[in-house]
Formats: sequence, C-alpha cells, structure tokens
Amino acid sequence: MEDFSNIPQLTLRLFDFNVDFNTETIIMTWIVMGLLIVFGFLATRKVSFIPNPFQVVGELLVSAFYNLTKDTLDEDMTKKYFPIICSLFMFLLLCNWLGIIPKLSEPTKDLNTPLSLGILGFLIAHYSGIKTKGFIKYAKEYCDPIFFMAPLNIIGELAKVVSISFRLYGNIMGGAIIIIVVSHLIYSLILPPFLIMFFGIFVGSIQAFVFTMLTLVYISLQVK
Amino acid sequence: MLDVFSYVKACSLVGAGLAIGLGAIGSAIGEGLTAGKANETLSYRPELAGEILKTMLVGQAVAESAAIFALVVAMLMFFTNPVGKPLLAAWAFLGSGLGMGLSAIGSGIGSGFVSATACEGIGRQPAAKSAINSLMLIGASITQSTAIYGFLVSLMLLFIGFPESADISRSFALLGAGLSTGFGGIGPGIGEGLTGSLAVTAVARNPEQVSKVTRTMLVGQAIAESTGIYALIVALLLIMVV
Repeated sequence: MEDFSNIPQLTLRLFDFNVDFNTETIIMTWIVMGLLIVFGFLATRKVSFIPNPFQVVGELLVSAFYNLTKDTLDEDMTKKYFPIICSLFMFLLLCNWLGIIPKLSEPTKDLNTPLSLGILGFLIAHYSGIKTKGFIKYAKEYCDPIFFMAPLNIIGELAKVVSISFRLYGNIMGGAIIIIVVSHLIYSLILPPFLIMFFGIFVGSIQAFVFTMLTLVYISLQVK
Repeated sequence: MLDVFSYVKACSLVGAGLAIGLGAIGSAIGEGLTAGKANETLSYRPELAGEILKTMLVGQAVAESAAIFALVVAMLMFFTNPVGKPLLAAWAFLGSGLGMGLSAIGSGIGSGFVSATACEGIGRQPAAKSAINSLMLIGASITQSTAIYGFLVSLMLLFIGFPESADISRSFALLGAGLSTGFGGIGPGIGEGLTGSLAVTAVARNPEQVSKVTRTMLVGQAIAESTGIYALIVALLLIMVV
C-alpha cells in the first residue's frame, strides 16, 4: 500500500545536472489537453442556431463564467481575463474527473500541477496589479497600515499561493488515498463506486470551482 | 524490557485511538448544530420539509468528511505492520494521530455552522435555494482545508522512512509536527466556518448581492486560513529539516 507515495519518474543526465520528469503526470496532462482540444473543435465546428450537444455545453460554460467574471471584475477587464478563468476551470475539472476512468490518474494528485497553476495565478494577479495601478501605488499597498508591516504583508501574499495549491492537492490526493485504503479494507465490495462518485466528481467539481474563484478574486483584489 | 517492535506497535494503537477519538468531536458537534437548525426552521416552514432535509443531509455529509479523514488515518495506523520500523516511527505515529485528530475538530464545527445557517436561509428565502446551496458547498469545502492539511501531515508521518536514530530532539520534532498542524487547524476551521455561515445568512437576506458576498467570503476565509498555513509550514519544516 506504500506505492501511492511514489511518483513514476524519468531521470535524464544533462551536463552534470539530473533532470527529472514526472512521466505519469505529464502524460495525464497531455490527455486532458487533448480532450479539451477535441471538445473545443467539436463545439465550434458547425456553429448553428439549433446547436449540437457540444455547442450547448460550451455555450453554457462560457456564458456562466463570463457572467461570473463580469460580476467580479469590470466590464472592460472581463474581456481580458475571462479566457484564462474559463480555461483554468475546464482544465481543472477534467483533471479532477480523470481519475474515475480506470488506469488513469489525476494530474492534480501531483503537487507540481496545483503549485504551478497557483504560481501562475499569483504572477498574473501581481502583473495586472502593477500594470493598472503603477508600481509606486502597488508597492505602497505593502506598507499599508504602517511601513514595518511590509514583511508580514509579503508573507501573507506568499501564503495565498501555498493555501490555494495545497487545498486542491490535499483534496484530490486525500480522496485518492481514501479510495485505495477503503477498497483494500473491504476487498472492493460495493462501496468504491460511491466513494469515487463523492471524491472524484463531487469534491473534484467543487475544488476546481474554488480554485478558479480564488484566482479570480486574487486578480480582482490587485486590480481594484 | 520492551523491544522496539512493542514500542512502535503500542504507539500506533494509541495514535489510532487519538486520531479517531479527537477527530470525531468536531464533526459530531457540527452535524448536531445542522440538524437542530433544520428542525427549528421546519417548525415555521413545514411546507419546505423536503428542501430542508436535502440541504441538511448534504451539509452533514460535508461536515462529516473531517471525521472520515480521521477514520482513514486510524485504520491505516491500526493495520500498519510495525515490523522493522525504527523507534522514531513510534513518535511519528503519536504525532500523526494528534495532528489528524486535533485538526479535524475545527473543520467539523466550522462546516456545521455553515450548513446550519444554510438550512435556516432556505426557510427564510426559498427562492434563492440554489444560490444558498452552492455558497454553502463552497464555504464548507474551504472550511475543510485545515483538516486536509492535518491529513497530509499525518500521512507524511506515517509513510516517510525514518533512519535508525536515538536522537531525542528528532523524536520530539515529529511529535511537534503533529501538534503544530493539529492545534493550528482548530482556530482557522472555526473562523472560516463563522465567515461562511454569516455569508450564507447574508445571501438569504439579499440574494441580489450573491457575487459580492461570495467574493468577500472567499477573501476573508483565505486570510483567516493563513495562520493554518503557518502551522503547516512549521510542521513540514519540523519533519524535513530537524
């Protein structure tokens, strides 16, 4: 039962450095990206007034997230940030749902995926903050009540990245471990499908939405 | 004279008891709060019995997940084979049980707050039930995150291979890692639960403002959680560095 702490790795030797690739995570991420590209192709292939099923799902997702982004950011900012918010949600949702297919595993089960997405959101938020407010006003916010609070504010900003990525990672990893352990204890009788429904589909959707919303909220905090 | 095997086995059994014994407290209180509020709401809106029952059951399922994490950790410790583990593993088992059990208390109580006010809010404003339900799920699942951190730290303590060493400071560092995530998880869990429950009440009073309330709730919960993050970082340092 100790195999879930090991991640399959491919190590290459490159000029005195070891370069590690987490092969399983990379392949699963490619599968998710492939599925998303196929979905996008099917949804936009024959755009018509009477839509095909893929177009309906695509329109639902896009309109729901457009309204969500518009409520949080301003109208002109929305056009700029809405694509990344919507694609982040679709990517995370497919990542979290991938584990319900046998032999496949969630890319979010590896801490590297949520952490890199969290750092991406952090960089986008701070870049847009500097761009809209100017660097001086942006830097002034760190010394908000009084100047020696700056280290605490910086630690608080960095803690956001840790919390957003560990929340997603912990939920998905914890769900996967619970499914393995309970299936092992009861010899895979009856219960595992319900556990997979709960931790895979229900918790996976909620966590994908929470991650997306938090990224959006962090951007809006910097922009406003 | 006891040998290492007996020590490790004994500590794994104590750890299993600590994990599920402490971990059951919070979830039970939270679920009881939810059921109480549901009953109270039913007394003046009996025609909404089906809706309130559904919300109560979903909210209780979310509040119970902290206790389920604790149960899984307890089962893992109970069935782990202690043959060939060094003496440090005994301390790691104790730390693991304390970390999981204590951190589940806050999350269970906090999620209970959120789902209790969701039942009340549906009685107050049945037209906004989908907004209230989704806000309850988001708020309660963020409240769970400190229990998740406790779960991660206890799994690390269970499965990391420790060297053969009689260093007393290393042993207490492993115990301290569990105590850090455990006690660090209680406050953020309850605080995030308070935020989430008042946000649900606010949406029930004024469903028009759901996006603003959601945004403020997420920011507030993220900030309330930062002390839990500090506890997690200290625990990771204690496991990895000391």
